[in-house]
Amino acid sequence: MKLTVLGLALATTALAGTASAADLRMSWWGGDSRHAATQEGIKVCGEKYGHNVKPEFTGWSGHFEKVATQIAGRTEADIMQINWPWLPIFSARGTGFADLNELSGTIDLGQWSADQLAAGTMKGKLNGLPVSTTGRLFVFNKTTFDKAGVPLPTTWDELIAAGPVFKEKLGDDYFPFEATKLDATLIVTLYGTQKTGKPLIDPETNKILWSKEELIDAINFYQTLVDNHVINNWKAAQASGVKALHEDPAWAKGKIAGTYQWDSTYFKINDPLEDGQELAYVDLLSQDGQQTPGIYRKASMVFSISANSENKEAAAQVLNCLLNEPEGIAAMGTARGVPSSTAAREQLLANDAIKPVQIEAQAKVLAAAGPAIHPFMEHPDVRSAMQDNLELFAYGEVDAETAADEMIYGIEEALADIDS
Amino acid sequence: MGGDSKYLGLWYVSPYIIGLLLFTAFPFLASFYLSFTDYDLLSTPEWVGMKNYEKLFTRDRTFDKSLKVTLIYVFTTVPLKLVFALFIAVVLNYRLKAINLFRTAYYVPSILGGSIAIAVLWRYIFADTGLVNMGLALFGVEPINWFGDPNTALFTITLLRCWQFGSAMVIFLAALQSVDKSLYEAAAIDGAGQWQIFRYITLPLITPVIFFNLIMQTVQAFQEFNGPYIITEGGPLKSTYLLPLYIYDEAFKSFDMGYASAIAWVLFVIIMVLTLIAFWSSKKWVYYAGDKRS
Repeated sequence: MKLTVLGLALATTALAGTASAADLRMSWWGGDSRHAATQEGIKVCGEKYGHNVKPEFTGWSGHFEKVATQIAGRTEADIMQINWPWLPIFSARGTGFADLNELSGTIDLGQWSADQLAAGTMKGKLNGLPVSTTGRLFVFNKTTFDKAGVPLPTTWDELIAAGPVFKEKLGDDYFPFEATKLDATLIVTLYGTQKTGKPLIDPETNKILWSKEELIDAINFYQTLVDNHVINNWKAAQASGVKALHEDPAWAKGKIAGTYQWDSTYFKINDPLEDGQELAYVDLLSQDGQQTPGIYRKASMVFSISANSENKEAAAQVLNCLLNEPEGIAAMGTARGVPSSTAAREQLLANDAIKPVQIEAQAKVLAAAGPAIHPFMEHPDVRSAMQDNLELFAYGEVDAETAADEMIYGIEEALADIDS
Repeated sequence: MGGDSKYLGLWYVSPYIIGLLLFTAFPFLASFYLSFTDYDLLSTPEWVGMKNYEKLFTRDRTFDKSLKVTLIYVFTTVPLKLVFALFIAVVLNYRLKAINLFRTAYYVPSILGGSIAIAVLWRYIFADTGLVNMGLALFGVEPINWFGDPNTALFTITLLRCWQFGSAMVIFLAALQSVDKSLYEAAAIDGAGQWQIFRYITLPLITPVIFFNLIMQTVQAFQEFNGPYIITEGGPLKSTYLLPLYIYDEAFKSFDMGYASAIAWVLFVIIMVLTLIAFWSSKKWVYYAGDKRS
């Protein structure tokens, strides 16, 4: 009997010990709920395989720069949460991160579809495992809309009609929607995509597909929203200093009653709401004669293993545990949205760990149609070209035509730089 | 230590010298080389000659705007901070009750410095519903959009730096206390008033310290980063987009380390030129003990 126990112990040790105890680091960005879930996840998965996993987490702001600096200095964490559009920046040749295909003995890649794995693949090398698929959705504060006596909008016209009602019934400081900085840029992009049926940048050719007139029309739409009290104007929205939506007291109180956000941020935007407020997702707002609903859908963040990690096998064990094994799945929950891993999704569904609102949001993301999104839409230089010029327009410094000219110039220059 | 004693001093300073060479001199020289390259952090730098500088001076409107904002910031902040620090130092030079407590209290902001926490605090103080607007409301003044208005956003950043006046103040205070008291007594006997004593005795005698503070504060102001980065991210309309923010964005957001290095070197040259001008002008207004003019 003693021999049997000893044998089992040795066998277990041998199995678990294909990677000996290692000191690992894992980095990610997110909000409080994600931080708590991930810390619990790396704790249970680390203990399961005997590894010590040190967390490195921040908010979204500055995380890209942090990862960039670490990768340049080869001091990046062993396991990293990487934004999907960063893959071509950090790993254009597929060598910026470990090829997870080579770790398929440890990571169960069968939990993802071929399409999902393709999204994390650069030049044939699997650089990242999609944690979830995400998309920008409209989410409204149903409580505030009820207070204003306005049904949740399904079209842009209905949203625009809600603006004056909010102003009249609730006051000047109540708005049915928000769009400043990046959110404003994405609203302009969505409106133009719906109208033209084309993405702003062609993923095949890296060229701008919209005409100048189409861009002007989309820019003017932003002003329509401001003029109708749908969104606060850019300048006034800046009055509280730079703050993320979920840090804005006006959002917490329900004074800002709508936004266009990634579905994976549900907890981040829901948690700060004061008691009694309820969020509801709606289908993408539509416009008359639109060519496409224009969903902005992409692989959400991916998990990657550092190309410089000395403990790739150990990192793979932890990664697989976090994404595919019961302990890790339970700990991680839906802090990054509805998981892409089949095992994780099934376990969370069976345990009622996915809220109906998240299932509903995910279904909307997957069901909506739209042209493919170019990862370079999130390149800092492209974003800057869009956002800086939209800001100039919003402040009345330039007209829509000049803003469009400058955007086109800035984007083309950025794309030329990236290509070179 | 025997025969090694002549190297003892060198041993003592070696940690500093090694640190200086590794973490200052090497990056300094490396950045000069990189400013002539196209370097994206992840691959080998590629020599491009004067291309970065050419772009900087011929078609980079962001640089023009950022340089202008930086110069306005420096030329506003430095005089304001020096005047304020000198004023507080003069007040704290009087023999008042609990003067040491006041001196400590006024130095506290400098200990806290321009840290992230203070920058966040600043954001709340100047927010639309913040302390400043609440105070103005008591006098019937409408709330001011400090951060949203390009005309006032830079002012809030300027005040943040002025608020950290403690280190300059302490140096001023030391200088004030070193002024020979017999000069004050002689002036008083001659019938000079407080202002005349300050203007014609105190001020000339502390000009070396004013000069020192001027140089140090100017160099530091050109390197300001935390305040605008945390509070306004350089906005609105790039009205607080100081050159260090631009360097940071080019280096770590756009991955254009070569171009960022070129901007950094232009900034260095500007600081150098202004410092040299200050040194040149100091011959006309700075008085040292033993100076033939004094």
